[in-house]
Amino acid sequence: MEKLLEFRHITKVFPGVTALDDINIDLYPGEVHIIVGENGAGKSTLMKILSGAYEATSGELYMEGKLIAKNSPQVSASLGISMIYQELNLVPELSIASNIFLGHELRRGGFVNKAAQEKRANELLKEIGVYVNAGTLVKQLGVGTQQMVEIAKALSRQAKVIVFDEPTSSLTDSEITELFHIIRLLKERNVGMFYISHRLEELFQIGDRVSVLRDGKHILTDTIDHMTMDDVIEGIAGRKIENLFPHVRKPAGDPMLEIRHLTGSKFSDVSMTVRAGEIVGVSGLVGAGRTETARAAFGIDKYESGEVVVCGRKLPKRSPSRANRLGMCLLPEDRKTEGLALELSIRENIVVSSLKALNPRGIVRAKNEATEVGKSINSLEIATSSMEKLVRFLSGGTQQKVVIAKWLLSNSRVFIFDEPTRGIDVGAKSSIYQLMDELVAGGAAILMISSDMTEILGMSDRIYVMSGGKLVGELDSEGATQNEILKLAFSNV
Amino acid sequence: MSKEKRFPAALARIPEATWIFLIVFIIASVLVPNFFSIGNLSTMLLQACTLTLLSVAMALTLMMGSIDLSMGGVVSMSGVIMAYMMNAGLSAWIALPAGLLLGLVFGLFNGVLVTKLKIPPFIATFGSMGIAQSIANTISEERTVTWVASEKTSLISFLGSKALVVEAGEGASNTLTISNLLIITVIAVAIVWFLFSRTTLGSNIYALGANQETARLSGINVTRWRIIVFMISGLLAALGGIVVMVRSNSVQPTIGANMEFQACVAAVLGGNIMTGGRGSVPGAVLGALTLYTIRSAMSLLGIDTSWVQVAIGVVLVIGMIINNYVTQRESQRAAVISRSAGKGGAEA
Repeated sequence: MEKLLEFRHITKVFPGVTALDDINIDLYPGEVHIIVGENGAGKSTLMKILSGAYEATSGELYMEGKLIAKNSPQVSASLGISMIYQELNLVPELSIASNIFLGHELRRGGFVNKAAQEKRANELLKEIGVYVNAGTLVKQLGVGTQQMVEIAKALSRQAKVIVFDEPTSSLTDSEITELFHIIRLLKERNVGMFYISHRLEELFQIGDRVSVLRDGKHILTDTIDHMTMDDVIEGIAGRKIENLFPHVRKPAGDPMLEIRHLTGSKFSDVSMTVRAGEIVGVSGLVGAGRTETARAAFGIDKYESGEVVVCGRKLPKRSPSRANRLGMCLLPEDRKTEGLALELSIRENIVVSSLKALNPRGIVRAKNEATEVGKSINSLEIATSSMEKLVRFLSGGTQQKVVIAKWLLSNSRVFIFDEPTRGIDVGAKSSIYQLMDELVAGGAAILMISSDMTEILGMSDRIYVMSGGKLVGELDSEGATQNEILKLAFSNV
Repeated sequence: MSKEKRFPAALARIPEATWIFLIVFIIASVLVPNFFSIGNLSTMLLQACTLTLLSVAMALTLMMGSIDLSMGGVVSMSGVIMAYMMNAGLSAWIALPAGLLLGLVFGLFNGVLVTKLKIPPFIATFGSMGIAQSIANTISEERTVTWVASEKTSLISFLGSKALVVEAGEGASNTLTISNLLIITVIAVAIVWFLFSRTTLGSNIYALGANQETARLSGINVTRWRIIVFMISGLLAALGGIVVMVRSNSVQPTIGANMEFQACVAAVLGGNIMTGGRGSVPGAVLGALTLYTIRSAMSLLGIDTSWVQVAIGVVLVIGMIINNYVTQRESQRAAVISRSAGKGGAEA
């Protein structure tokens, strides 16, 4: 079969860094070619060269055997190359149809022919099995449906190559199933697809071939049947990760966090206990009320009845600062907007919850701060050249460590992690897991909300499953299976 | 099922300002004697013309994620220059188009500052507001500019004249008066609304306001469209200058001062947000009418004009509360829609 697309000897040098070093990757029609690698491995740089956002320093890009001499977003679009980014690029106030035809509107006598646009958009949506009226405003759609609109938009431009950049990171399980269904439809239509993901289990569900990038180098490309999960992990990390989940079960101590009959608008009668030295996983579908329960327990949101006890003391409602003084902390799923101040330095982020203790009587003791932050950076192995580096420039894994350091410094003993490794590559994941294990080994208690099944099964001592706002089960992780958890997760939808 | 789906879509398209306008209007009609009379309403509409034009312009720039603070300055400047030209004996047929052209050029200037020189719109147009206002002050020597009515200025008298007078009863309060100025305003707003909804102008403005990168990747010429919107804004401001000039038959150099802030209030009441990407043209019109309902009601009650600002402030806050409520309801409905969408063919 003729190659649809080919990167030949692509090198991209930024001042001081070689982001891509002699990459040779190709794509056949009807193929899903998965590209994996750690953050900074060069995946997005490669895709930006494809989209025309970047120009390669050397090397060539061929589309259907023809050299693309000078690429640009316009050129790549006209050749039928479409990008579907993680942050969806739709205009919320416009209808689905207007979004699909944005920039290449169907016209009649100089005016936009809205009726024709809606008709064609409805056809496109139907082709991929989405049954929403194309006149609906995009702001009224959920993330999953918006992504399907993006796909319809790509189809409207006769896309031959579609690049998916972490498409499943914000989708629910059923939305992911729908997406995979559509991807299979696209395969039948001979669309070639590059698919970037951190979720390694997806490789085997949807991929035909896999390419691994590491530090800008092309490590390997092979068909999926010739690979195992371990091969992929080893390729990504550059070393064998013997044991991704280091957690060893130890006898649990006294209860550190007790949530009793907590009831709020999105959850009802939820009771959970976490003991010292325990990691307790909370599984469930997106929307099962897990995050909402955690936020209410920590005091961010209100709840109607029930109580939360931390280390034997009852928490007042709606007071995160009081919860924190009693040693509880919450590490939100969205680190960038809720857990960190991206424009501040590592030091400033770490000390922000301990300002009072470090700076008695409100006078800044810069030395105190520097010593303590230096200690955290060493003990958590935060990879940085300086504690004054802005958090914005750190990778996802390092950012997560900064959040942990912040709470450790303020003497937290009860940790609620909400999706602790979302968007974090596998190498950094293992060090986060290690850190979590060290925390509980030191007597802390962890409640871990996660949608990553392997993480739940690999890290937890016990597993709570929520469904439709209710706690529907508690499992011992020893012997628990994915099927068992899923059955519970769907039991009250 | 399909009924349930369409209802929120229709609801989402009613400008948020509808509710606050209705509330204010009904309260004024019930509580203020003589407010709900065709005579008073005619006067109110005529008074609201300039602000309506500016609010629409402001809405366009806000929706695009920019702001145009220079419009009050442009009203003063174009007004003064047009009056000065007629004062110097030029025909209104030359002065008025020159004033409009000046508005366009000033919009172009703003657009170039923002797009080519990459100055944030707030700063750029704040600066050009100062420039425009200073030009108005300098040319007029800070005095009111008048002209001698003659054959050459007959266009002014025509614009100021009444297109339609219907006497429904005794006295001024029962007389419906439609001025040519009102007709011109309605036509101008209608043209903008038509361009907005029937050409790519609207989609492009929303796209620019939501995310410029999205717009660029969709093949929209971001620079050109931003300049175009600033030019439309300048043009509407100059038209506002003409309305003011015709109504008062003279131009005070400070006539436009602070109008940009009132326009901002009206546009925000109309559902536009400062960060762009949402809002509407009819919303801005309703916002402007809300402000003039308050003014008219309070002046009929004989309340000191300094209290008008207080009332407008209160209404702005209440309006925002209502807008937030409406938006929240919308997003709750959105969740329902996307859930039913995922389930596929059954209800399609």
